[in-house]
Amino acid sequence: MHAQVPRNFRLLDELEKGEKGLGDPNVSYGLERGDDNTLSNWMGMIQGPPGGSHEGRLYSVSIHCGPNYPQEAPRVRFVCRINMNCVNQNNGNVDPHAFRIIGNWNPTYSMETILVELRKEMNSAANKRLPQPPEGSNY
Amino acid sequence: MANLNRRIQKETERLVMDPVAGISASPDPSNPRYFHIQISGPITTPYEGGIFELELYLPDEYPMCPPKVRFLTKIYHPNVDRLGRICLDILKDKWSPALQIRSVLLSIQALMSAPNPDDPLDPAIARHWKEDENGANRTAREWCLAYACN
Repeated sequence: MHAQVPRNFRLLDELEKGEKGLGDPNVSYGLERGDDNTLSNWMGMIQGPPGGSHEGRLYSVSIHCGPNYPQEAPRVRFVCRINMNCVNQNNGNVDPHAFRIIGNWNPTYSMETILVELRKEMNSAANKRLPQPPEGSNY
Repeated sequence: MANLNRRIQKETERLVMDPVAGISASPDPSNPRYFHIQISGPITTPYEGGIFELELYLPDEYPMCPPKVRFLTKIYHPNVDRLGRICLDILKDKWSPALQIRSVLLSIQALMSAPNPDDPLDPAIARHWKEDENGANRTAREWCLAYACN
């Protein structure tokens, strides 16, 4: 049985990975504020996948990791407006019932997982060609 | 708890029963690899009188890899960044399984007594130390009073 990594050290590992730019090159993430000692509020960026209505766009996503992360999923919210079936049209919240990674969260997932899977969702048949709000508009 | 080997058990016992002066280390009740640390600011340093909280974790590979540790209390020090991460050689390339949690905590205490602005984690703080040591020490004292003294 693997030792359970405490929340803060798990987040510091993710931070380091994000800082070094390791992992998927189409996403990036880091602390929203460099002095957030509680490691709770993060900002991710997703490059819209090519070949659809998200092509060439850069989406900001706000991620909040609560005290029980990673046992509990983070809260995820798009800062930039996006038309996607798992994102609430009014406030940008990612709906756990519609986004499997959050709805069916397990602690082996990471913030990078969330961003990569959101990007895959953008490219899905259901989402790929949806008309998008003007670029640069926020909730 | 097959993973909690004898070495960690013995180290924990010794840390609790025979603590280092000025340092307290207690394992978390729900995770025996996770420790809550308090280090008293060494005397004759700007940190004197302060109690600095840290957290420490023993990864799976310990003791073949070093413990992970960071300051929870804000501290103005060239080898500690804004998130409390510590730049200390025995936490990285100079670690050896012959060292222990005890050695790490003693080294951190020593680092508080002897800041090393030539190996900084925060370049702005390091610059302050090199250009105006008295001013840097004053800021360290202010932070200590504000964050490490109740």
